[in-house]
Amino acid sequence: MKIPEQVKRLLVVNAVLVGTALAIRFYVIPKDLVSTEVHRSTTVERELAKPVKFAGSETCVVCHEDEGTTKGKSFHRSLSCEGCHGPASGHAADPGAIKPPAPRDRKFCPVCHAYDASRPTGFPQINPTAHNPLKACIECHNPHDPSPPETPRACSACHAQIERTKAVSSHALLDCTTCHVTPELHKTSPRTALPSKPQSREFCATCHGNDSKQKDPPKVDITTHGTPYLCWQCHYPHLPEGR
Amino acid sequence: MTPEATAHLSELLAQVTGFIYPNEIEIHWSILIVVYPYITGLVAGAFILASLENVFNVEEVRPTYRLALLTAFSFMMVAPLPLLLHLGHPERFYEILLAPNLTSAMAMFGFVYGWYLVGVLLLEVWFEYRRDLILLSRRAPVPMRWFYRAASLFSTDISAAALAFDQKAIRIITIVGIPSAFLLHGYVGFIFGSVKANPWWSSVLIPIVFLMSAIVSGIALVIFLYMILAALRKEQVDMKCLDTITSYLFYAVIVDFTLEALDFTHRLYESEESVRILGSLIRQKLFLSLIVLQILLGMLVPLGLLIVAKWQKLSEDGRKLLYFTAVILIQVGIFSTRWNIVIGGQLFSKSFRGLMEYKMAIMGLEGFLTALLLLVLPFVVLAVLIKLLPTKPLMDEAHTPA
Repeated sequence: MKIPEQVKRLLVVNAVLVGTALAIRFYVIPKDLVSTEVHRSTTVERELAKPVKFAGSETCVVCHEDEGTTKGKSFHRSLSCEGCHGPASGHAADPGAIKPPAPRDRKFCPVCHAYDASRPTGFPQINPTAHNPLKACIECHNPHDPSPPETPRACSACHAQIERTKAVSSHALLDCTTCHVTPELHKTSPRTALPSKPQSREFCATCHGNDSKQKDPPKVDITTHGTPYLCWQCHYPHLPEGR
Repeated sequence: MTPEATAHLSELLAQVTGFIYPNEIEIHWSILIVVYPYITGLVAGAFILASLENVFNVEEVRPTYRLALLTAFSFMMVAPLPLLLHLGHPERFYEILLAPNLTSAMAMFGFVYGWYLVGVLLLEVWFEYRRDLILLSRRAPVPMRWFYRAASLFSTDISAAALAFDQKAIRIITIVGIPSAFLLHGYVGFIFGSVKANPWWSSVLIPIVFLMSAIVSGIALVIFLYMILAALRKEQVDMKCLDTITSYLFYAVIVDFTLEALDFTHRLYESEESVRILGSLIRQKLFLSLIVLQILLGMLVPLGLLIVAKWQKLSEDGRKLLYFTAVILIQVGIFSTRWNIVIGGQLFSKSFRGLMEYKMAIMGLEGFLTALLLLVLPFVVLAVLIKLLPTKPLMDEAHTPA
């Protein structure tokens, strides 16, 4: 069968188009961009080719054994040395010439320890503006063993949110220890030694019972009101006015 | 967060109404994504109109065949621009075609687009104009002669057999082209309809609604251009042709309206948990663009005008006036449809608790002026094409060998 003239011409044009596309495909587009499994198939090689910056904690403790041992028993045991001191492969290669920095101001520690409502309860959180202003963190805390030296504002150092709620409630003037018995260990190991909560209705009745000698607190008949529940199962003690 | 980002967020937060997720502050798909399905719809509609004559032998619409074909072709050339500009780096677009991700619907659409532009529209235009290009390459003065010779791919054969082959080729291309046109616009609806998390889009009817509104807008555009062109050339409008096309337009509008009403009624009857926020969306944010522009002005009024024009035995001038008004209103209505789907679908929170604002920028890549430019550009391309390629077949007296 004779191929019409116009079809022959179209075939030539198509051949040119396909040829151009193939040329672009194999000569212009980078080879590692053709795979769609990852954005660029050479990403891993490219990352591997970058110079190594970190030495790793194992390298640090070879020379800094004391710091390693102290840190290994402290709350900071899971942190890497270079998390605070920065990449240290240069220092490991030539300890005399390159010294990794140590954070000695008030800016670094609040990255983790500034108050943030999304942090877990019990995680040490402070208000960086109000917490011992102008003093560097390292003046009171040893970063390799950051157990609180003492807690000047006791509970509010960690439980800032509860403290702020309580501060505007009618229980504002009560100390936390009025209701909670707190073992000393709680300050250094908050999760292993938890404070107690009132376990009897009579505890609240000391102020709120009809026969209480306190004048101001609202009174209820503790024998009939809300039995058999404990008071804090219905009333939030840190903001009892709240509903 | 940088101070610039904070300032930007503060400015945006002032626009937030009700309850939304934090990542819903900004409307990501802007006016450019409204323009994109609008233009692709015009392509599909114009091509389907062009196919009426070729495949279904509707002789009455012959005067608009070439115009419809050129319209589809020129709008198709501009169609991907809004999308490419919106995505950024339009200069890299060919990479998705040459290194394709076979599991991405969007990437695969590149092939549908490429096929439709080159394999259907360009090829059909070439076969349709081959004879005229050869004649023009003999007739035109020197610089243009070269252009026409190149455009005809240096073809010279205008024998009866060759022309018959051209006609056969056009017919086959059109038969292949109709499903391609459906695929082209059905695909755009498919992308929206498959966004499961968005109750305003997630409907199997969306691709069909897109398709029918595409047909409506494309036919209306060709009628509009045909009337404008006749007025500019001071030629008589072929009323038989106009009456036939407007009849098709009338039926297409009815089907489109029915489908949209069905979709809407179905949502109401189904009454999923999203129905309340969609109700608020329509009442508060889309009242003007959906109820007034899309349904009332863009659908019911043109339907009324077409009914009056068809059954009131109006004079030619009266019919032309009503047709012209109707097709302009239909364009407004279809553009509103695209707006309501694209922007409307992003205006409510995925928590179903509040509504957002969209404030269109005037300047900038995603702004009003860019959108306007993109809407005008296909008309410029079309004007150039019409200047180069006659919308009526050339007379036979020039049919002499060089």
